[in-house]
Amino acid sequence: MKVLAALAVLALLALPRTGPDFRDIARQAGLTASFPNGGEKTKEYIVETTGSGVAFIDYDNDGYLDIFVLSGEGGTNRMYHNDHNGHFTDVTAELGLTSSGWAEGVCAGDYDNDGYTDLFVTYWGQNRLYRNVNGKRFEDVTAKAHLTQDRVRYNTGCAFLDYDGDGRLDLFVANYLKFDFATTPNAGANPYCFYRGMAVNCGPRGLPFETNLLYHNQGDGTFEDVSVKSGIARANGHYSLAVLAQDVNDDGRPDIYVVGDQTPATLFINQGDGTFTEEAVMRGVAFDENGRELSGMGLASADYDGDGLLDIFRSDFSDERSLLYRNTGNGQFDDVTMTAGLAKNTRFVNWGCAFLDFENSGWKGLVVVNGHVFPEIDRQNIDIHSRDHATLYRNTGQGTFEDISAQAGPAFALRHSARGLAIGDIDNDGTLEILANNQNEPPSLWKQSQRAPGHWLLLKFAGTRSNRSAIGARVAVTAGGRTQVDEVRSGGSYLSQNDLRLHFGLAAAARADSISIRWPSGAKTLLKDVEADRVVTIAEP
Amino acid sequence: MPDTRLALPLLCLLAAFPLAAADTPTEQGVAAFQEGRYLEASRLLQDALVADPRDEHARTFLALARAATGHCAEAVADLADGFQKSANPDLARLSGLALAQCFIAREETGQALPIAAQLEARFPGDADVLYLCAHVHMRAFNDATRRMFAGTPASYRVNQLSAEIFETQNKFAEAAAEYRKAIEKNPRALNLHFRLGRAILLESHSPEALAKAQAEFEAELALNAGDAAAEFQIGQIHNASGRAGEALRHFQKALDLSPDFPEAALAVGRIRVQAKQYAEAIPLLERVVKMQPANEPAHYSLMIAYRNSGQLDKARSEQQVLEKLQRPPEGKFTDFLKRLGEKAPAQ
Repeated sequence: MKVLAALAVLALLALPRTGPDFRDIARQAGLTASFPNGGEKTKEYIVETTGSGVAFIDYDNDGYLDIFVLSGEGGTNRMYHNDHNGHFTDVTAELGLTSSGWAEGVCAGDYDNDGYTDLFVTYWGQNRLYRNVNGKRFEDVTAKAHLTQDRVRYNTGCAFLDYDGDGRLDLFVANYLKFDFATTPNAGANPYCFYRGMAVNCGPRGLPFETNLLYHNQGDGTFEDVSVKSGIARANGHYSLAVLAQDVNDDGRPDIYVVGDQTPATLFINQGDGTFTEEAVMRGVAFDENGRELSGMGLASADYDGDGLLDIFRSDFSDERSLLYRNTGNGQFDDVTMTAGLAKNTRFVNWGCAFLDFENSGWKGLVVVNGHVFPEIDRQNIDIHSRDHATLYRNTGQGTFEDISAQAGPAFALRHSARGLAIGDIDNDGTLEILANNQNEPPSLWKQSQRAPGHWLLLKFAGTRSNRSAIGARVAVTAGGRTQVDEVRSGGSYLSQNDLRLHFGLAAAARADSISIRWPSGAKTLLKDVEADRVVTIAEP
Repeated sequence: MPDTRLALPLLCLLAAFPLAAADTPTEQGVAAFQEGRYLEASRLLQDALVADPRDEHARTFLALARAATGHCAEAVADLADGFQKSANPDLARLSGLALAQCFIAREETGQALPIAAQLEARFPGDADVLYLCAHVHMRAFNDATRRMFAGTPASYRVNQLSAEIFETQNKFAEAAAEYRKAIEKNPRALNLHFRLGRAILLESHSPEALAKAQAEFEAELALNAGDAAAEFQIGQIHNASGRAGEALRHFQKALDLSPDFPEAALAVGRIRVQAKQYAEAIPLLERVVKMQPANEPAHYSLMIAYRNSGQLDKARSEQQVLEKLQRPPEGKFTDFLKRLGEKAPAQ
């Protein structure tokens, strides 16, 4: 085993270390429309600060990722079809996705198990469930699915998950706070409406809390609100934003981790009987190392240190550290931000974030997009900016990260007020692209100028007994003497949806020794000696 | 020369004073005073005192009326008597407030300070008293600052104080500039490099800022090798930069220099927890929570240390302590904060 590990290190060292060269190809790809999201110089209300998410989904099952971008008030969400040649075409109207209002988050999953990925979009206002009709159009089935809310809610992150193992995707929806234009005080009205001495929009402190929602899929096209009976609604006192639905304690059942603004994070542990218990504090993911709540914005998960356990990264506000929680087993976590070298960038308000192996080295790096909630900050002439560049960290393979933003290509020098971020491989070449939603600008689509040097696998899963999207499937890929694990997830990042396929960098290994899958149903699949550098579709037995 | 600035404050302070039936000259004088007719009050209360020189109530209200019309010189002695001797706590409080304001008006801040201290001791939590105390101390600070700036303009202390004032205004770049001037004037003065390093960190945590701040803390240590706080700050910089080994060395040195330095003990304890050295970490963290029972970071770190070492009962107990400490206090202040989220009718 030691010899294999040494070989793996040698293989890693053998890869060129010139660094990635990310470039923004959004314009030439046809992503030219701007997405309004509140004021650019000043924001009067908090609802202008939080939108919006993005998604990579293959809505028509043509094997290529399409792009879905959400909009704030004054614009429409847009779906862009992948033309397979580096260009995308706006197909919003023909798919029936033209919309209005304050869209916040998006998550994907095949809730009706018909083989086509559906979309759920959260709003300040009414959420929308879009049923994908044979990849030809989307039907708004919100009311039909009993998902219409009885009042205006500030819905944010969402995720499909099969919490009760019945093979059908249920739905979790985070809620930020209670907000309406009529009763929320104006900027500067009270001490909660100031930032660094400037009058700014009020909140979240001072505004009423809101509880999160869990909907059970009834299997007949409708959902039932089980927030109370599942125990989810018991957690009050949180301004919830991002959601990570995955099995944190490796018991085969999906749990739900939610970070919130200026409040402790919550971790709902699935008890296996339709209920959840909130255990974030004792499991070490409620606070930073000081036991203090931060302003959690985005979430990402990966086994960054190669110990077979999924760790968690959360992005936070400026003057705070974004945190890396290392999974020490049994669903317990330690804050290792400092020792991992991630405590240096505290001047950004971090939002969308994702682990990604941008070099196919077998070690997942980390990308975070940034942008301040208060555009007024630019008046202060300090090193915190309304629009800022993104950060890219390389995973050293030694349990630490190094900030390589300055050497990662021109895309990482561009300044935006970004929010949602998603990762996916738009051309199936094994080199990942990055999609980000920029407030009041066109989105960013970042692609490397050259392919990542290592070998790779892109795995697509199709559930049969499990939900068709295989959300919750736990996957282990062994290659070159190392085993990497990951899980198929809905939602995540900041109110966004990554490619549902799982990407694995294999460094110098041209074949994977094995791929093992634990499906949400409990079924297991083991594939051996799998050739690399291709997309592999795996169906549940 | 009467100081009319006193009139309005006293009228405000009297708003809650009970009104009496106005039958006697004293009662008529008090009523006139309460209605802000100070000159008439003075005349009526003087008449009352002529009729009965032992009428202490009339004497105190006459002093208040005189103070309210700016005649502090004639009022001070009787206000002092009213403050010290009056059996009526409302009258004593009002006399004390007026007395202190008279001293402030006469620019005798040194005389006002002990009155403010006595008022706060006798009437804790009283908003008028606390306002006066803040005012007196601010005046004392301003007076001393003015004397220093006028008397010793070339002293490095002028720059040091300017820097500290900038810090309170969150103007950390300006503060750093003033600290640098102070250091130029007196390179051997203790604490300047430390404060400069801290101001740099408060301005930014960029890698460049961390390097500059570290250089200042090292300069402080060159002047005073026993400065535990400077050692601790260097440890913090190493820790934030992901150099746990170097951080531990400096945190440990800070702890050796100052064994009761809770932040240093906590920092050492945390690094030991991460290294799974629970036997070393837990006694340190236990010592911190003993030194500072309300130290939330220490309770949290101890909870994690107990949890990781398998002592779940102790971990749960620490979690309970932490939850108790983090719970917002019930009461007027919390209710006040809750109401801040509501839009005022005028908006």
